[in-house]
Amino acid sequence: MQTPILKITNLHKSFGANEVLKGIDLDVMKGQLVFMIGPSGSGKSTLLRCCNRLEEPSSGSILVDQEDITAVGADLNRIRQNIGMVFQHFNLYRHMSVLDNVTLALRKVQKLSKEDAKARGLDALKRVGLLEKASAFPDQLSGGQQQRVGIARSLALRPKVVLFDEPTSALDPELVGDVLKVMRELKDDGMTMVVVSHEMGFARAAADHVVFMDAGKIVEQGTPQQIFGTPTHVRTQAFLARMSEHAA
Amino acid sequence: MDLNALVFSFFNLQIALEYLPDILKGMVVTVELGLVVAITGLVVGMALAVLRALQLKPLNFFIICFADIMRALPPLVVIMMLFFAFPYIQISMSAFTATWLALSLVLAAFVEEICWAGIVSVPKGQSEAARSTGLSWLQSMLYVVLPQAVRLTVAPLTNRVIAITKSTALGSVVGLSEVLNNSQSAMSNSGNATPLMLGAIGCLLIFIPVVLLGRWTETRFRWKQ
Amino acid sequence: MDEIFKSFFNIPIYIEVAPYLLKGLLNTLLLSALVIPFGLAAGLLVGVLSITLKNRWARALLAIYIDVFRALPPLVLLIFIYYGTPFLGWELPKLLAVVIGFMLNNSSYYGEIFRAGLESVPNGQIEAARSTGLSATQTLIHIQIPQATRNVMPDLISNTIEVIKLTTLASAVAMPELLRVARDAQSLFYNPSPIVLAAIFYLLLLWPLVRLLSRFEHKKMGGGH
Repeated sequence: MQTPILKITNLHKSFGANEVLKGIDLDVMKGQLVFMIGPSGSGKSTLLRCCNRLEEPSSGSILVDQEDITAVGADLNRIRQNIGMVFQHFNLYRHMSVLDNVTLALRKVQKLSKEDAKARGLDALKRVGLLEKASAFPDQLSGGQQQRVGIARSLALRPKVVLFDEPTSALDPELVGDVLKVMRELKDDGMTMVVVSHEMGFARAAADHVVFMDAGKIVEQGTPQQIFGTPTHVRTQAFLARMSEHAA
Repeated sequence: MDLNALVFSFFNLQIALEYLPDILKGMVVTVELGLVVAITGLVVGMALAVLRALQLKPLNFFIICFADIMRALPPLVVIMMLFFAFPYIQISMSAFTATWLALSLVLAAFVEEICWAGIVSVPKGQSEAARSTGLSWLQSMLYVVLPQAVRLTVAPLTNRVIAITKSTALGSVVGLSEVLNNSQSAMSNSGNATPLMLGAIGCLLIFIPVVLLGRWTETRFRWKQ
Repeated sequence: MDEIFKSFFNIPIYIEVAPYLLKGLLNTLLLSALVIPFGLAAGLLVGVLSITLKNRWARALLAIYIDVFRALPPLVLLIFIYYGTPFLGWELPKLLAVVIGFMLNNSSYYGEIFRAGLESVPNGQIEAARSTGLSATQTLIHIQIPQATRNVMPDLISNTIEVIKLTTLASAVAMPELLRVARDAQSLFYNPSPIVLAAIFYLLLLWPLVRLLSRFEHKKMGGGH
C-alpha cells in the first residue's frame, strides 16, 4: 500500500470565532490530480493555504511525504520548497525579470550558483512554453503568460506536490486554455497536483479524484465520473446544478 | 515705482560686492546643514520603518508616538525648545546643533511614515509568494518587499527632504549664520536691500537644482507602464 | 527631575501665561483661516493653468513660477517681502506681507497637488461630458475639478497641516501668533515653560489631524489589493 504524498488528518481552522475548516481528512497519492470544488466560503482555499502554512492550522496534522509540516520547530523554509504554490493573482515580482522571478529562490534558498539557477530556470520556462520571455518583465506579459511564469516559478524548485489556488479565475476566458494546457502536461509528466478551481471541464478530463467541500467539511469525494455523473449528496447535486446553469 | 530706486536698493553693485563674501559663507553653512540633516533624517527614518516591520508592540508604540509628535510640532518650535529651553536643564547646544537636531528628528519622522506606508502597500501576495518558495522573512523583505516599497516612496521622500532642507533658513531665528541671517545682518548694516536680494538668489541657486533633481528622480522611478 | 518640572512644566507660570497664549493661538487660527483659502484658490488656478495652457512660453513661465516658489524657503520669501518692500517706498502691514508671502509659496505646492489630481481624472470622463454637449469650462467645473479634489484629498489635508505649522514663521516678523507670544513670555519670566506650553497647544491642535492623515496615506499609496 502506497503512502500518500499529502496526508491531511482532522484539520481544523478558525479565524477568531469563525470555524472555517471543521475536521478535514484527505489523502493525496503520488501522481494524482485532486480537484476541489465547492461554493465560495466552503474553505477550499483555506485548506490549500494550510498545506504550506500560509494559514496556520488551529489543530490537526498535515504530512508531506511523511514529514509533519505542522510540528513545532519544523523548518518551514525548507519544507516549502517541496510544496509548490500557484496563486490566483499570480503574484509575480514586478521589479524583476521573468527569469529572476523563477530563479530567486533557487539562488537564495537552495544556494545554486548563478549558472545552475539560470539553467534550471530556463528549463522550467521551457516546460511552460515561455522560454523566449525570459528577460521580459511581468508588466509586459498577458495574464495567461504571467500565470504560466508563476507555474514555472514553482516547478523550478522541483516540488513533490503543486497546489493551485483558483489558477484561472483571474484570467480572460481566451487565456484560460493556455494555462490549463500546461497543467495537463504537468499531470501527464506525473506531478502530484491539488487544484481548487471552477473549471469543471478540466476536472472531467484530467482529474483522478474530485472532492466536494461545503461549509468547512468534505461532503463527498470520488472519481470525476462518480461526482459529476452520479452525485449522491443533495448539496453536491445542488451545487453542480447551479454551476451548469451558469455555464449554459 | 521708480526704476532707479529699484536698481539702487536691490541691485546695487557696490554693496553687492562688499557683502558677497558674507552671503557666500552663509550659503556654505546652508548647504552643509542641509546635507547633514538630509542624511541623518533619511538613515534614522528608514531604520525606524524597518524596526516597525518587526511588529514588536512596545517598540511600535514608541515609534508611532515619536512620528506623530515630530510631524505635529512646527519645526521652529522644536528648534526653539532645543536652543532656548534645554539650557535650563543643563543641555546647551550651538545654533547649528539645535537646528540640525530639530530638523533631523522632524525629517526622520516623515521618512519613517513614508517608508512604512510603502512597505505596507506592497501587496501581501508578494511576500506570500516569496515565503512559499522557501525564502525567510528577512530574505523576503530584502529581495521582494523593500525593492518594491522603494519605488513607491521615492516621490514623497524627495519632496519631504526638499521641504525640510529648505527649513534650514529657520536657523536664522536662533542666530545661526546661514544665508538668510547673514543677508539680514548685511541689510541692516548697509541700509540697503541688495544683500537680501543676493541671499534670495543664493537660495535659488542652491535649491532649484535640488527641486529639478527631485523631479528627475520621480519620473525615473515610476513603474514602466 | 525637579529641574525639568520647574523649567518646563511650571504650573504657576502656565496659569499666568495661558490667557495670552490662548490669544496667540486664536491669532494662529485666524491667520490659518485667512491663508489657507487664498492658497487653495491660487493653487487651484495654478493647477488648472497647468493642464489648460497650450502656449509653450506660457507653460515655461508657469513651470518657472512653480519651481521658483518651491525652491525658495518660505522664511526667506517672507523676510524679503516684509523688509524689502519698504525700500520701494511701500509700507506693507505685517499681515499683508505674511499673507502674500504664504500665498505665493502655497500656490505652487497646492498647484502641484491640484495638477496631479486633474491629470488623474481619466480621459473617458471628459469625453463623456463633452459628448453630451457640455463646454470645456463646464466639464472642468462639474467633472474634472470635483473628481481631482477627491483623488488628492490626502495630499490637500497634508499640505494644509503644513500651512498651519507655517504660521510660526510669522513670529519672525513679530506677528503676535502663538509662538511669538510664547517667546515674549519666556523672556519676561526668564523661564521656558511658556514655550513648552505652546508646544503642547500645537500638539493638541495638530496631533489629531496628523493621526487622521496617517489613515488616509496608508490607504492611498499602493492602490490597494
